[in-house]
Amino acid sequence: MFESLVKRLLQGEFICEITDEAGFQYLQNPENFFQVEDYLQRLNYRLASTQNKLSFYAAYIEIDNAARQDIRKVFQQFRLELHPVVEWLDMMMACLKQDAVLSPGDTLAFSSLLQIIENNQALADRLQAFAKFKDFTSNEDSVKGRLEKLLSTLQKWGYLQLANRDTLIYQVTGKLDYFYQSLQFIQEHEEIPVEQGEEESAQETLF
Amino acid sequence: MSQAQGLERLFKALANHSDLIAQAYYEGVVYKDSKNQRALNQLKQLKVLVNHSIDGYRISGRLGQFVDSALSSDRLRRLDTDLASWVDTLEQQILMYQDAWDENRIEDAENYSAEIERVIFDLSDNLEENTSYLLMLINSRFANVRTLAEKKKQNVFYISRVELLVQAISSLRPEYLLEMVDEHPALYALLEEQLMRLLPIYHQRLQDILDKLKTFLFELRKIEERAQLVQGFAFFLRQNPSYDMQDWSEQDTIPEQWNQIKPLQLTPSADTQNYAVEDELIAIVQKLRVDSEALLTKKRKPKINKIELVKREIQVMELPLYRKWLRRYFVLLEQQAGQGISAVSFQQKYVQEIEPALWLGCVLNEWLRQQQRHTKIKMEFIQFASHAAFTGNKKVKDILLCWHE
Repeated sequence: MFESLVKRLLQGEFICEITDEAGFQYLQNPENFFQVEDYLQRLNYRLASTQNKLSFYAAYIEIDNAARQDIRKVFQQFRLELHPVVEWLDMMMACLKQDAVLSPGDTLAFSSLLQIIENNQALADRLQAFAKFKDFTSNEDSVKGRLEKLLSTLQKWGYLQLANRDTLIYQVTGKLDYFYQSLQFIQEHEEIPVEQGEEESAQETLF
Repeated sequence: MSQAQGLERLFKALANHSDLIAQAYYEGVVYKDSKNQRALNQLKQLKVLVNHSIDGYRISGRLGQFVDSALSSDRLRRLDTDLASWVDTLEQQILMYQDAWDENRIEDAENYSAEIERVIFDLSDNLEENTSYLLMLINSRFANVRTLAEKKKQNVFYISRVELLVQAISSLRPEYLLEMVDEHPALYALLEEQLMRLLPIYHQRLQDILDKLKTFLFELRKIEERAQLVQGFAFFLRQNPSYDMQDWSEQDTIPEQWNQIKPLQLTPSADTQNYAVEDELIAIVQKLRVDSEALLTKKRKPKINKIELVKREIQVMELPLYRKWLRRYFVLLEQQAGQGISAVSFQQKYVQEIEPALWLGCVLNEWLRQQQRHTKIKMEFIQFASHAAFTGNKKVKDILLCWHE
């Protein structure tokens, strides 16, 4: 377990209950945790976890110039993911008609999503709008093709895992916890105005 | 980028590209070309211009209204009126346009056409903005309050806004409007493309809003903070499509969540000096050999059909006797150029095996063949005396050939 876990961490993977249940359980044991941590330290790495401890990943102990270069690349990927992932999460709330966002462990059934979107022109329109993002352009000009592309890209990025190939059931991974943490950070530090007031004067004039 | 920087950027763009903005305002559309493409993209990002068609841009509804107001334009529509009254305006403008068209008042017709276009775009912009904004509010805020008093206040707010939207959308009678502009293809296409095609989307959003209203009209709910964060962020990104987050990886202290290692590519190699794993390595190598052979088999070059030069025995064909003597006869002619040589005398001297009549036939044929290559050999028939009764026939008893240079 130790060996495969360390290899996955070194390959930049997020270890959560969904992607590697045994590995995640292994790290819950403090003794195992320190063994892995100890090993990583020799490489100037450490074992980091998301705020809610829903996933583990490897981080640098000391950020020198080489580490900074690597971090820059990882950050650029996050920058690329920000807009489409936010749009996907918001769209899923509309699809599932729920007041909670997706959380690690939640499941998405391809067939159910397809049925919902096909029967809702506004959602179909939103799905089509994903084509403006890099990596989401589908060759197929159908709701099914676009939805397949959306879910497969999110799987490639590590936010989803295909739990059942036959029924096409996807499961949300612990990496989403990392995404929420980053989103919160950006909102707070860049002062993004996410609170919309009901009495906003600009909107009043439109009616 | 701070809000102050954003404002400065906006004002600079307005000043730098005032010509394009004025063109969009007065002419209704600016088309993209190689010179203005960059400026148009920037103005679109700043929401000064919005798409008119595939390669055209128009002034955004709000900015257009602001300019109308600032210039006290006669285009000005009262902003305190509801959207439904804009639909009435649209119908009236179409009727006036038709009258102007029927009475051949070209200038008036053009003005009405431009005004109709603006009303359609304004309506479309407002319906899009209001339905999506109200849906976002209702998803992220409605019923998420603590007291009944707050809830009552919210109910009044949302119900009144939904009513206004329902009135606006209900007053749009697609078939009636399209029938009105049936004889004007450009207006028909504009109405269809920019307004009618989008109606199902607005309807759907209204339906979603109503569903939520019905569910939580008399109930409180707790919307989780993360959901509000995502909904608010998504709305912000839709309003600011050109938003680009700060480069936090360039900060002196990199925030914790971006301290993440770059994925390593792990490619182990076998230690052939380690005898403890000798057997395993041998097993792997043996397997590799099989694989290699298999690969080699696959890669073996296909047979090529080789073309070889096969030496064949040369069979010398013996020339017929008459050909040999013909050749000698004609060589003799060339050697004794200018001197006529009788074919019969040559035959009698050298070729007794061939009858004179046959020999003469052969000479005649050969002479005809040689004539195709050159005309150096002149021929003369030596004939028997012709019969009085058959003057057309010639009876040859000899042929005289002579080589002339």
